[in-house]
Amino acid sequence: MPSPPATRRPLHARVLLLLAMRNLRRHVRRTVLTASAMIVGSALLVFTFAMGDGSHEQWIDSGVRLGEGHVTVERPEFRVSRRIEDRLPAAVRRAAEAAFAAPEVAPRVVATTSKLTVTGLASSAAGSRPARIVAVDPAAEAEFSPIDDQVIEGRYLAPDDRLAAYVGVELVDSLDLRLGSRFVVQAQDAEREIAGQLLRVVGIFRSGVPEVDQMFVHIPLATAGEWLGSAGDVTNVGVVVDDSTAAPGVAAQVERALAEPIARGDARVMGWREANPALAAAVAIDDFGNYLVQGFIFTIIAFGIVNTVLMSVLHRRREFGVLRALGLTPGQTGTIVLIEGLTLTAVSGFVGVGLGLAFTWYFFGDGWDISGLMDEMTFSGVVIEPILHPLVRTARITQVLLFILFIGAAASVYPALRAARLDVTEAMKFDR
Amino acid sequence: MTDTGTAAVRTDGVWKVFHQEAEEVQAVRDVSLTIARGEFTALAGPSGSGKTTLLNLVGGLTRPSRGVVEVAGRDVTAMSNQDLARLRLDQVGFVFQAYNLLPVLTALENAEFPMLLQGVPADERQARVHELFERTGMTGLEDRRPGKLSGGQQQRVAVVRAVASRPALVLADEPTANLDSTASAALLDVMADLNREMGVTFVFATHDARVMERSRRLVRMVDGRIDSDETRA
Repeated sequence: MPSPPATRRPLHARVLLLLAMRNLRRHVRRTVLTASAMIVGSALLVFTFAMGDGSHEQWIDSGVRLGEGHVTVERPEFRVSRRIEDRLPAAVRRAAEAAFAAPEVAPRVVATTSKLTVTGLASSAAGSRPARIVAVDPAAEAEFSPIDDQVIEGRYLAPDDRLAAYVGVELVDSLDLRLGSRFVVQAQDAEREIAGQLLRVVGIFRSGVPEVDQMFVHIPLATAGEWLGSAGDVTNVGVVVDDSTAAPGVAAQVERALAEPIARGDARVMGWREANPALAAAVAIDDFGNYLVQGFIFTIIAFGIVNTVLMSVLHRRREFGVLRALGLTPGQTGTIVLIEGLTLTAVSGFVGVGLGLAFTWYFFGDGWDISGLMDEMTFSGVVIEPILHPLVRTARITQVLLFILFIGAAASVYPALRAARLDVTEAMKFDR
Repeated sequence: MTDTGTAAVRTDGVWKVFHQEAEEVQAVRDVSLTIARGEFTALAGPSGSGKTTLLNLVGGLTRPSRGVVEVAGRDVTAMSNQDLARLRLDQVGFVFQAYNLLPVLTALENAEFPMLLQGVPADERQARVHELFERTGMTGLEDRRPGKLSGGQQQRVAVVRAVASRPALVLADEPTANLDSTASAALLDVMADLNREMGVTFVFATHDARVMERSRRLVRMVDGRIDSDETRA
């Protein structure tokens, strides 16, 4: 007599994989063609995201270094008023600097600067022009901002400078100044009186950003303190961090450290997105464009996968009928198809990501020079250079792989349902 | 070698009606049949007589429109798809006219596939298959894919696959239809031996006279009904 059957166990993954891999090998040409599309698409995805992320990081870096940093601490009113009376109290400045130097934050901080920014008027014998006077600690600012490297004549500020000014080239031209020329700046002081200060041009710079070159005047913080009666006070303390994605975390830590002054209304912590919404919008729009193009490409690839897996299912109706007759449930039959689709996409995805990384690797170092296609551009205080440097983030690679697997799974669902729902007796008649 | 205990198969007033466009096709009509364990039974009849449909009903591959079908004492008509799949895996072996081996698996892998699903340990699987391959003259062909086997060899692998998992019942639908007379005779010898020595219940759907001659019970079907039921010595 037949013996009782062994206890049934869940279908072993090895059996499913064995069937999936062997079935994929049955139609090598079809599998290779679909896999090739997937590999190229995945490689393209990695490369374009690496280039896109690199460009965005470059934009952000440019914007925050010419501005207030990835994370900035200011008085809440200062962002709108830009008035000296809305500067940070000395105690809050010290607390902010201490928060940025705290052990949990400091490892991410690349440069810190505390500066006093006021809007005023710059005048010479040639006339007067609006100016943004930025009072800085020269050594700290040189670390923070690229502006000291953008000198075209003279030099950047030195720590022992007193009445020195480092002036944007277009402001120099409009005031008819030269290196060594003297000019006067006027602004509202801490007592809300108009105060003037004689300065001498020690350096002229060209940032490439018109609004910076037309308006910016860097002077020593000590000079501003005497001129405006603000002593050592500043309007913001800002930091540049090693990766823009670290900014929200750093901002949150600093917010916790400055909970009291924030509650009193003496301070506000802002990330770069909040401080520079135009830049944040530009990055988001560019990202959206990339997602749209990639989504379009992968929709086409997904149809290729659907075609490959569905054709495979339709050609194997009888086999699926046999599997059902042998005791597979509809779910297990569908699972075989899902695993085939997922195996195809997972293997192609990994190969594609590897290929994309290798291709991206080529552009590390010197970057990708597209100056033949575009010149240096600026927007919203940001310089866009025509040399793209890739940036590979683990999170992005993980995201890409998950996306590819999702596409594979989604594209395999319909063929899997077809396999699961087939009528066994009809399938067995098929092609008889 | 017939077991008089629980029947291997029992049908009671079974009907199967198909709807093809506006037409109603009564493939099986009011069939009541009991097949004891260990029987070697042939369902014979011309094409369209309902024998394959009856086999599919017994194997749980399709559900009756009316009536009751029991396999090894269990009513299959009310079973869920999952339970039907389990019943097929544990209690029923199939042999098809077109062999229906999985082309991506070797002869050995095809033969052990149901046991793999049952969770039978590898050494036991291999032992059972090797023993049956020896009985069926398939030793040495274990690593061949179906495409590299003759029709007779493929059908022998299909028979081994059907019996190796030790089902209560093997349903064979026109198993000799694609074989020449020598291969048919050899296959029937194999199945008769397995029936005699292992007590496996075989039910054939056939219009092959050789199968009818070898069966110990012959049930003739005409137009979906049982026309005659003859037991031989």
